[in-house]
Amino acid sequence: MIVPYSHILALAGIVFLLGMICTVTRRNLILMLLGLEIMLNAAAIALVGASLRWMAMDGQAMALFIVVVAAGEVSLGLALIVCVHRSTGSVDPALENRSAPENPSA
Amino acid sequence: MTTIALMTDANLAAAAVSCAVPLLAFGLVMVATRRHPRLSAGISIAAVSLSLLGAVFLLASNWHAPAPQVWSAAWLVSDAVQIPLGVLLDPVSLLMMTVVAAICLLVQIYSLGYMAGDPGFSRYYAFMSLFAWAMLSLTLSSSLFQLYVFWELVGLASYLLIGFWFEKFSASQAGKKAFVMTRLGDVAFMLGLFVLLVGAGTLDVTAVNGKAAAQMDPAALTLAALLIFGGIVGKSAQFPLLTWLPDAMEGPTPVSALLHSATMVAAGVFLFARLFPFFSQSPAAMSVFLAIGTVSMLLSSTMAMVSRDIKQVWAYSTVSQLGFMIMGLAAGSYFAGVFHLTTHAGFKALLFLCSGVVIHALGTNDMFEIARKNGRRLKLAMVCMTLAAAALSGIPPLSGFFSKESILVALAGLDNPIWFAAGLLGVFLTAYYAFRLIFIILFPRSELAEPEAEHGIGTAMGSALVILAAATLGLGFAEAPLARFLSGDPAAAHAGPHLPWLPYAGIGLAAGGLLLAWFEFGRPAADQKGFVERVPALEALFANRWYIDAFYARMVSRLVDRGVAWLCAKTDQRVIDAGLDAASRNLIRSSGVLSTLQSGMIQHRLLVLFAVVVMLGLYFIA
Repeated sequence: MIVPYSHILALAGIVFLLGMICTVTRRNLILMLLGLEIMLNAAAIALVGASLRWMAMDGQAMALFIVVVAAGEVSLGLALIVCVHRSTGSVDPALENRSAPENPSA
Repeated sequence: MTTIALMTDANLAAAAVSCAVPLLAFGLVMVATRRHPRLSAGISIAAVSLSLLGAVFLLASNWHAPAPQVWSAAWLVSDAVQIPLGVLLDPVSLLMMTVVAAICLLVQIYSLGYMAGDPGFSRYYAFMSLFAWAMLSLTLSSSLFQLYVFWELVGLASYLLIGFWFEKFSASQAGKKAFVMTRLGDVAFMLGLFVLLVGAGTLDVTAVNGKAAAQMDPAALTLAALLIFGGIVGKSAQFPLLTWLPDAMEGPTPVSALLHSATMVAAGVFLFARLFPFFSQSPAAMSVFLAIGTVSMLLSSTMAMVSRDIKQVWAYSTVSQLGFMIMGLAAGSYFAGVFHLTTHAGFKALLFLCSGVVIHALGTNDMFEIARKNGRRLKLAMVCMTLAAAALSGIPPLSGFFSKESILVALAGLDNPIWFAAGLLGVFLTAYYAFRLIFIILFPRSELAEPEAEHGIGTAMGSALVILAAATLGLGFAEAPLARFLSGDPAAAHAGPHLPWLPYAGIGLAAGGLLLAWFEFGRPAADQKGFVERVPALEALFANRWYIDAFYARMVSRLVDRGVAWLCAKTDQRVIDAGLDAASRNLIRSSGVLSTLQSGMIQHRLLVLFAVVVMLGLYFIA
């Protein structure tokens, strides 16, 4: 194995961090979903690397599962976002909060 | 003194029966026979007669061998501390027990006439029995703890009896006043008992009087003595707690007779006599007692000089005579104090019972009113009252003369002549105010033309008077045998310097007081105004009881209303209210801070979630 496992883990960590920052900072539900996907992929990279490191197929199988789950998540998530956009006219995650009617007793 | 012997069975049985029977009567009357007044009175009188029989039997059987006898059982044991309950028979308790039982019996018989027709007749006799039980048990208590219990019971019974006519506002007030003021002293008494318990490790009377106290630290001993004396001050109405007793006459007159002679107030002096060896180990405390006795004696004599209320005069004279007893005891003469207690019980009961006859017949307490209503028609009462007043003044050959003289001898033996001088002044004042009252009643200036309808003096009331008058006449001659009985030495009656002129000085001063009273009130040309009443400032001072009550009222208003109440109000405002306010303000502020977390931004939560996971990861890796 040419690439040491630690490098793979570092790459996975960096990708995960990028996905995380994307999820937390973007004010757009679609981009937040994108960030989630990136984080899933980071996990998949780490699993594939681990499969290579220990010469076991389990990691690659897991990575395939992740891809499937990610695909399902994207389809469901995008459908939800479309739904939200239809009802509020926006894809801003904070907008719903701001546009909600004020509770006078609060 | 510390001879602890098992009592013979007959003695124990007699003591136990005499103590317990009045309690039985109390229970029986309260539970069963409240609806039958005559039966209740019969039960109560039978019980106290039995007590008297027991007491006389004990006195007679121990007359020649007055070694202290103790029978006791441990009641409370805690490590090194043991509190026994039991019976202690020694000369002073036997004498006191006999006096108490005798006076209780006579007063109860007298009350048959005095209280007849009262709606609370049964209740009255029940309380009387309670009183008799508490006082008899007090005299026989073998430990100070037990004595304290009965001491409080005596206080309770007197509260119930002083406030017997509780529908009358002043009576219930007087009952409360008596209860609260004596309680002040009792708190000191209890603290004194604790000091004694810590210092000497025991509350047993014989041990406290014996070597247990001798091992105490002198400072602790003096402290204990002074605190216990606080109880005596409260109970015996000495300065500065003397004002409850004159108010206590709100009760029925026979109750006053009982209260003033043999029970309530006598309990204080009895305690002094009971712990006499203990007290005399602290000379500093003894001189304090002497001063308090003297001050009370003189103060109350002056109060009696201006009072118009017949019962009040006798009440002041009680305080004054109790002061005399305490002076005698504090001067170191055990016999003088106890002897005066005994003789005083007789003539003071007689004075009150005679006043009761007069008040019952004429319906007034005011001595001028009594004179105007021709009170001197009540021949028997007048003769007895004059006799008792003469005994009070110390005129021979009545009982008061002998006991007063032995106190004066004891006072003359002290280094400082001021006590002796105060004692002589007391004799003079006593004769003056006693005969002021007698002359005012006997020589009225104007009379009602027609006498009012008269309540006859029944045989019950009359017989009690006659018996007490006989005791007043005869008791003085029992001085030598009593001295032998109490201290094992007939010469103890005159423990002090041999002063042949002393009896004459006493008689002379008493006669002087009498003559002054005659000059101002008795002789036909007198205008019945005392020398005190000619000085308005002095009269106001005496009539207002030296402003002691006013002082208490002021102090209470200062201390309680403005001090404690102010403190409570401020605590309420500044601590409780302000604390709650501050707590709620802080709660609001901190929830404001916390509410910023609740921004509704899903990404902030996500960030927190990540942060937490990262930190957990770091924690588990590290």
